[in-house]
Amino acid sequence: MIKLFERRTRITVQRIKKKKSPFIYKSYSKKPKHTWLKKRKAAERRFRNAGLISILIAFLFLVSLVCNIVSSGYSAFTGTQIKLPITFQTELVEKGAYRKIVQNALLDLFQDVETRKEKRSLFMLISRNAPYELKSLIKQKPDLIGTKIDLWLPAASATSIFYKQRLLEESKRIGKINGDQAKWVTTLAQSQRTRLKFNMPFFKNGDSREAEQAGILASTIGSFFTILVCVLLAFPLGVATAIYLEEFAPRNWVTSIIEININNLAAVPSIIFGLLGLSIYLNFFGMPRSSSLVGGLVLALLILPVIVISTRNALHSVPQSIRDAAAALGATPTQVVFHHTLIYALPGVMTGVILGIARAFGETAPLLMIGMVAFIADAPQTITDPATTLPIQVFLWTNNPELGFVEKTAAAIMVLLGFMILINLCAVYVRKRFEIKW
Amino acid sequence: MSAKQTAIESSNMENNQPLDIRMKTRDLSVFYDDKQALFDVNLDIYKNRVTALIGPSGCGKSTFMRCLNRMNDYVDGCRITGKVRLDGFNIYKDNVDTILLRQKVGMVFQKPNPFPKSIFENVAYGPKIHKLTSSKDELEELVMKSLKRVGLWDEVSDRLSSPGTSLSGGQQQRLCIARAIATEPEVVLMDEPCSALDPIATARIEELIAELEQQYTIVIITHSMQQAERVSDYTAFFHLGKIIESGDTSKIFNDPEHQKTKDYIGGKFG
Repeated sequence: MIKLFERRTRITVQRIKKKKSPFIYKSYSKKPKHTWLKKRKAAERRFRNAGLISILIAFLFLVSLVCNIVSSGYSAFTGTQIKLPITFQTELVEKGAYRKIVQNALLDLFQDVETRKEKRSLFMLISRNAPYELKSLIKQKPDLIGTKIDLWLPAASATSIFYKQRLLEESKRIGKINGDQAKWVTTLAQSQRTRLKFNMPFFKNGDSREAEQAGILASTIGSFFTILVCVLLAFPLGVATAIYLEEFAPRNWVTSIIEININNLAAVPSIIFGLLGLSIYLNFFGMPRSSSLVGGLVLALLILPVIVISTRNALHSVPQSIRDAAAALGATPTQVVFHHTLIYALPGVMTGVILGIARAFGETAPLLMIGMVAFIADAPQTITDPATTLPIQVFLWTNNPELGFVEKTAAAIMVLLGFMILINLCAVYVRKRFEIKW
Repeated sequence: MSAKQTAIESSNMENNQPLDIRMKTRDLSVFYDDKQALFDVNLDIYKNRVTALIGPSGCGKSTFMRCLNRMNDYVDGCRITGKVRLDGFNIYKDNVDTILLRQKVGMVFQKPNPFPKSIFENVAYGPKIHKLTSSKDELEELVMKSLKRVGLWDEVSDRLSSPGTSLSGGQQQRLCIARAIATEPEVVLMDEPCSALDPIATARIEELIAELEQQYTIVIITHSMQQAERVSDYTAFFHLGKIIESGDTSKIFNDPEHQKTKDYIGGKFG
């Protein structure tokens, strides 16, 4: 006991002598050890490091995902073209045998090809769409008939993939291409008859059986129509519901049941909404199957709780004193909401709506149930036309084992992610721009 | 009941012949669900005078004040019995229009609460919703007049379009007063208008109250005895939902009848 007292005195004296701050750890004698302090600091450090590590891991996952998608998808933005010496023989044009014209041009280039089998694989180098391109060219410029010119025509998907991979890396990944074809493409490349060009068809075509012709336009327009219907329905309904529940509804058991149900709706698996759409909209009301109208209605149900909850939160965060001030000036409850509360809550409301749109945009499962998983080659004109959406296009293409579709899938995912980033940036901008500082 | 009331009224009239009674409450009781917050409060509020309500926290001053312009209507589970008369009319009658009532009875709150809109919009909002002005020029004039009354015009005339929330605390509170008087009310209720302000801003508001007294009837809640003494003509002391004592401010502060009043003013509790 005395010893302890002596030691404490010594420490105090030391402290006074050294004039060191008592708040700096280890500034005075190490004994007695401040084990509790050490423990506390260690716990602090541990927690911070754990957080850092988890962020790092999450970031790594994200990076590897994006890298994977980009690396397999970026090549889809370019398409291979082959220059062929086309001769528009008058009799062939008149007969409409454009396929023959293309085949003749290929045979011109490779005159040693003779057997039927070889010829067939030679013809497969060029896209099956090439004759149609020639046809439309002749329609535009009829004076080309009877002449011979060099034209760039789209290569078939397999050719394109082989050519791109050979360009990218000198490995021997050939894919679905045989030895002869590989040889021919190499010859074409050596004689400057091949080139890579920005893949316009990807952005201006609908779905197609030919990978080199398949595009995202139809599905993007379908997505747009679907979202339009969805927002036009869900925005007014959701905001009105939230305003009523937050500002007008009496607090009793009915409203609290409604509240609990809305919160639970947000957690219902999305495919259930699809089933609901199937049984009510399609079977009961007889709306057109696989149309963006029904898709929008189903997605509206899906994002309604999201909008209601976020709008309620936004309204709730407007201080009560503002409502009091407006009411004390003689504003009616409706005026209080529409002149003040809703206006001040608008940034939050908009953020919620935009995030709801983002969710609807990426939704696939409920749309499968109402038949939007369809082969749509032509862009829909109205909301009742059969349509598909971007994520469903991705889903459809992943079912296709052809290499050309693999890169298309990745590219479509990139476009989808791009839209998502855009939507989220919108939300951030709206929130920052219209934020109200109290 | 009515006979008793007329008796009280007439006695009041006799005692305060030169003074008009603007508002009076008779047997005013307020219940929040089952809890009674006010017990049979009878109080007269005189025209063009300042009436101060004092008392410890939770004694029902604010509840009483919110009864005077029916702000309690919005509180769930709030029930009111008794009568509140404004110029002789019971404001709790079913056919009373609360919107017109609140135009006549303005209110200023404890915390400055300007709308996050421009200074002009803040003041112009009341006149706009009551359609007090017929043209834009008239509205601008009314806004200018109100801002001048509270002495804010010189400070903000060059930035009427900047948000009201960008002003300092004292300026914000004066803006709120300007907003309240822009609807040309007869009674202005002030719920601790200075509690969030520094002494200089407080002094400014007190001066303002003295000026406004000429035109308006003012009811003010305050926790500062000095302030009540300085600004008010009449004082009512609330305790546990009842009025313990009310009367001339000088009498309440110098010669209170009740022991509780004496204790509260002397700082023994509250």
